[in-house]
Amino acid sequence: MEALGYLLQGLDTAVSGWNLLYALIGVTFGMLVGVLPGLGPTAGTALLLPLTFGMSPVAAVIMLAGIYYGAMYGGTITSVLINTPGESASLITCLDGYPMARQGRAGTALGVAAIGSFIGGMFALGLLIFVGPLVAQQALKLGPPEYFALVVVGLSLLVGLMGKSLVRGLIGALFGLTLAFIGIDSVTGTMRFTFGQTDLEDGLEFVSLAMGLFGLSEIFMTAEENLHAQATKPPKIQNMLPRRDEWGPALKSILRGSALGSLIGLVPGTNSVIPTILSYSIEKKVAKDPSRFGKGAIEGVAGPETANNAYAGAALIPLFTLGIPSSPSVAILLGAFIMHGLTPGPTLMQKNPEFVWGVIASMFIGNLILLVMNLPLANVWAQITRIPFRILLPNILIIMAVGSYSINNRLFDVGMMLAFGILGYFMKKVQFPLGPVLLTYVLGKILETSLMKSLTIFNGSFMGFFQRPISATLLVIAISIIAVSLYFGAKDKGIEGDSEM
Amino acid sequence: MKNVEVYISLFFILFGGVIFKMASGLQYYGEYGPGPGLLPVWTSGIMIVLSAINLVAAFKKSNTQFSDLLPTGTSLANVLSCVGSFAFYIIAVPYAGFVTTSTIMLFILFSRGYSWKTSMMFSAIVTGIVFFVFSFVLGIPLPVNEFGW
Repeated sequence: MEALGYLLQGLDTAVSGWNLLYALIGVTFGMLVGVLPGLGPTAGTALLLPLTFGMSPVAAVIMLAGIYYGAMYGGTITSVLINTPGESASLITCLDGYPMARQGRAGTALGVAAIGSFIGGMFALGLLIFVGPLVAQQALKLGPPEYFALVVVGLSLLVGLMGKSLVRGLIGALFGLTLAFIGIDSVTGTMRFTFGQTDLEDGLEFVSLAMGLFGLSEIFMTAEENLHAQATKPPKIQNMLPRRDEWGPALKSILRGSALGSLIGLVPGTNSVIPTILSYSIEKKVAKDPSRFGKGAIEGVAGPETANNAYAGAALIPLFTLGIPSSPSVAILLGAFIMHGLTPGPTLMQKNPEFVWGVIASMFIGNLILLVMNLPLANVWAQITRIPFRILLPNILIIMAVGSYSINNRLFDVGMMLAFGILGYFMKKVQFPLGPVLLTYVLGKILETSLMKSLTIFNGSFMGFFQRPISATLLVIAISIIAVSLYFGAKDKGIEGDSEM
Repeated sequence: MKNVEVYISLFFILFGGVIFKMASGLQYYGEYGPGPGLLPVWTSGIMIVLSAINLVAAFKKSNTQFSDLLPTGTSLANVLSCVGSFAFYIIAVPYAGFVTTSTIMLFILFSRGYSWKTSMMFSAIVTGIVFFVFSFVLGIPLPVNEFGW
């Protein structure tokens, strides 16, 4: 009940002043990011990050979170209409969404996806409201050793899920961690790895790194592949609701997708592709006639679409309660927290309840706005898919250049963004996972500080971690994850990570 | 040697090596606890080992060639125009200011898909809008020349 009281206060914050407008801007931009080629949710969130510099923390995160979950809705439209996923989580929707569109049922596919996304999003928010405070309360009892072990588990899950790319994932993670060392060491105040550059004394600018690795590299990739691509004319959308006999199976898929997505979202280190794949395979397994899948089965759209939105909401639980991001997009939200002077972690809910509950309440409103955008306005979004990339590209690039400059008013950051953009482009070309680089960069300071404090407590003995039950259990889990991944990786049976991860 | 994976592994071995050498010069463990060199030494050390493993694996089974990596023809020109115009922006903006540099950068990019007249028009309009929105609406400073634009 206490949570509901906080939520009502949060609602007051979410609808006051400019916050409602920022939620609208966030979800609209998120939809655009999902619908248009060339930008994923990570790049889209990074792109608007510099613009939030002058905003209050709550307004900034309301807008950025809107992009994050809004993109999950937007990606569906292109998957269904033109068989091209707007973002990786909507890839699986192509399997049955596009066949439905070819049967003249694009409206139904989009309608059931919007309804499922809304229910999944709401389900996850409910979980965030009721489970979040409990997790945060327990997390307050964690000391530096437990915190260190928790971050290691999150990272090992992320890297472990790379499957065949395990070694590359580990190298990427270590690379990101090394980048986090640049600048003044927060524990001892020693200057490290600056190569005499004063611009590096405060470390690498997070926005430049994120926009370069994820945004610029994606732009280069799209420029290479389809700068001159002709836009496909989308089919006309009508009859948004399923037939009477389809409601039952669709709702069951939505409920399963909600539970599955929310559960996976709680696990740090996962990504939004996993719940969609699992949901699809579950739906196929429980279906009376699995042969319908791939030919326009409504459950094949309802389940995965619900799961990815439930995941997006639930993935905020580790962020709000532990300060641990579960994916690159959430890592950028974490970067926004830090940029706006907030300390992510278990104390966030205690010290900044207005912020946390304001953002949560805004997500209810944002999901409602998205439902409206996706049901009656689906035809409008369908037309937006026709905007050619050759118009978007110059606009995006100039906003990136201006945005990265505006953080510290220095061209050095723009140069760093370009450098990371080129690096990210080549890393993507050779399928080198980028997610671990960004996540370890963001978590680097927390990881090092908690390790330093722990080793001081243990008088320098690493075995101290194994003498405390929670940290010992967590580290054993982390070691097991890596060992299992190595085993399956060696046998070439691993799961391929998604392109963003 | 055209195997890309080999060069990637060598890059990370080199990067790890530089960090390891620099980290070795930092305090590893001090009177009051761990020093600033402890984690970087381990991180870079493990990176070198893993990159070496990746290098060995690259010789055994990787077949990613430079020809698979680098685009050709129009695709290459598209990517180079993005990188080149961006680099031009970084170099020229302190001298020429935002308006001039942005217009040229955008012209290079728009001209990949439109006629020079249309590109010129789009470049000028977009620059004007961005300059107005960032400078006057959002109050975010832009890199300008001595005349303030």
